[in-house]
Amino acid sequence: MQKKGISLQNYTLRYLLVALLPVIAIWAGLFYAVITEEVYDNIDDGLKNSKLLIIRETYAHPELLNAPEYGINQYKIEPLPKGSYDFSDKFISTFEFMEYDDDDEPVRLLQTVFNDAQGNPHRLTIRASLIEEDELLEDLLLALIGLYIMLVMSIAILNRVVLKRAWKPFYGLLEKLRLYKPGKGQVFENPDSKVAEFKTLANELREMLQRNEATFESQKQFIENASHELQTPLAISLNKLELFAENNTLPEEQMAELGKISDTLHRLVRLNKSLLMLSKIDNHQYDETEEVNITILTSQLLEDFEPLAEHRNIKISMVVQGNIAYKINKGLAVALLSNLIKNAIIHNYEGGTISINSSKGLFTIENTGSTKTLYKEMIFKRFYREGSNEQSTGLGLALVKSIADSNHITLGYSFNGNHIFSLAFPENNSDS
Amino acid sequence: MKILVVEDEPGLREVIKESLEKEQYIVETAHDYPTGIDKIGSYDYDCVLIDIMLPGGSGLALLEELKSLQKKEAIIIISAKDSVDDKVKGLDLGADDYLAKPFHLAELHARIKSAIRRKNHNGDSFVEVANIRLSPELRTVSINNNEMVLNRKEFDLLYYFMINPNRLVNKPALAESVWGDYIDQSDSLDFVYSQIKNLRKKLKDAGAEADIQAVYGMGYKMIAP
Repeated sequence: MQKKGISLQNYTLRYLLVALLPVIAIWAGLFYAVITEEVYDNIDDGLKNSKLLIIRETYAHPELLNAPEYGINQYKIEPLPKGSYDFSDKFISTFEFMEYDDDDEPVRLLQTVFNDAQGNPHRLTIRASLIEEDELLEDLLLALIGLYIMLVMSIAILNRVVLKRAWKPFYGLLEKLRLYKPGKGQVFENPDSKVAEFKTLANELREMLQRNEATFESQKQFIENASHELQTPLAISLNKLELFAENNTLPEEQMAELGKISDTLHRLVRLNKSLLMLSKIDNHQYDETEEVNITILTSQLLEDFEPLAEHRNIKISMVVQGNIAYKINKGLAVALLSNLIKNAIIHNYEGGTISINSSKGLFTIENTGSTKTLYKEMIFKRFYREGSNEQSTGLGLALVKSIADSNHITLGYSFNGNHIFSLAFPENNSDS
Repeated sequence: MKILVVEDEPGLREVIKESLEKEQYIVETAHDYPTGIDKIGSYDYDCVLIDIMLPGGSGLALLEELKSLQKKEAIIIISAKDSVDDKVKGLDLGADDYLAKPFHLAELHARIKSAIRRKNHNGDSFVEVANIRLSPELRTVSINNNEMVLNRKEFDLLYYFMINPNRLVNKPALAESVWGDYIDQSDSLDFVYSQIKNLRKKLKDAGAEADIQAVYGMGYKMIAP
């Protein structure tokens, strides 16, 4: 058995989720970089603006130059010895101790050098707190997680809805295929779909099944026709041989040879008859049914088989716990039970036992025999032979299976040291 | 006794003819539908064997023709098409028996004999071989007028031998005729041997003059003096 696969829906969802993680992570990184860049940019613009304002103020109020520490205006001006300096703006991100929460906090510094009205160089450092950036990062992370969850949920829902709608004809096709059995003459209808691919698929499937059906039909017909056509030549050879053996007084060895030819021909006849019966069952030529009491029929058949069982010293016992009445073709019922009983006798050993049990809806036949369990998958196949019994046609159990299947009877096999074949009859088949 | 065989297959026609002639029947043959119609219209027979699939028409039509002529022939249909439909149709149209190909010649003789016997109510309803007398209707057997007790299968066996006296009856033919189509395993034919052994012993004990002998490799033969 093949392992049950994952559904298309879960499959796509799984891949989407896995693919979304890195996509969202990369996207979040970029987003974060852009936003922080933008934030720095804003802060830097603010700092530059402050610089202009401060320098302008120091021109008007030179006493402001004596602000060596950060005050409420968050800047400090340090006088520098005379010399040549780089007057460009330098931006630095760093940590500085903040009193209010007793910890180092991120800050953005602008450092520059300017000449006051007297032409003395001063170093100006303006700072701005980056405390919001931390929160921004946090908010961003939360927002991203939220976004991820929302995305996943909406994708899952969309996936479900869209797949369900879009693939509905596909699942319809699948279900029809699952229920399809060759030779039942089912008409395969295309499910409604606007999707071109599904239309093509359905058309191709229908045509393929039609071809299959035709092949199946012609094969069935061929087997039946071939079996029919074989009957006459078989009859001629068999009868000619009978006449020949009767008309001639032959020495024993030659008679024995004739006997072997005759036995082989009979085997061919049996094979042909079984094949014919199989194909007739397949072709539904046993549709005439009547209520058959399986339990009583079994006892009657057992009478016929008794000499054969006695001959092999096999004891047959039958326990009736309940009668089984079933609507079936009488001939098929006889073939079904006979083959099971015969099977139990043939594949038994001298002095073995067979026990048959009939209870409401369940018929079992248990026989001693080989100590190995049989291949459950193989024994009901046509021409499968356990061991090398040359006389077996290999069709007996295939016939049993075919009759059971065509009449909705469940055929089972189990092994508990003895071989047990069971027939489970459905509750009521009077309307089928 | 005259028998008409309507069969298109030359091989089968010949073998049936030869086999029936050995039984002292007068046998005529027809190979197609028109010849069949011709012979039926011109002569009277005790029994007609009709194949369903014939060139020039259906065997069933031939059967209808026979019935419309109010003929008294016993009619046996032989067909390669062992279908329930044909069988029912044939028997409905008034055939006395239906035999599916391939069949054993011994079986064919048995069917012809019983069909003719059923048609001729005036004939005696016993089968006699030497000092054995068997009544198929009453299912009794007597030897020298002493009744002999046989079980069901032994009776069927004996009956089969008695309508085919001095003929080779092969084992499969016996098994099929007595135990039905479903005993089809050559393996199981060995048990025919033990059945016949029992029957022979009973016949011998009752003083029967006919004996069943094995024909090595093939089957059995009832030898009547």
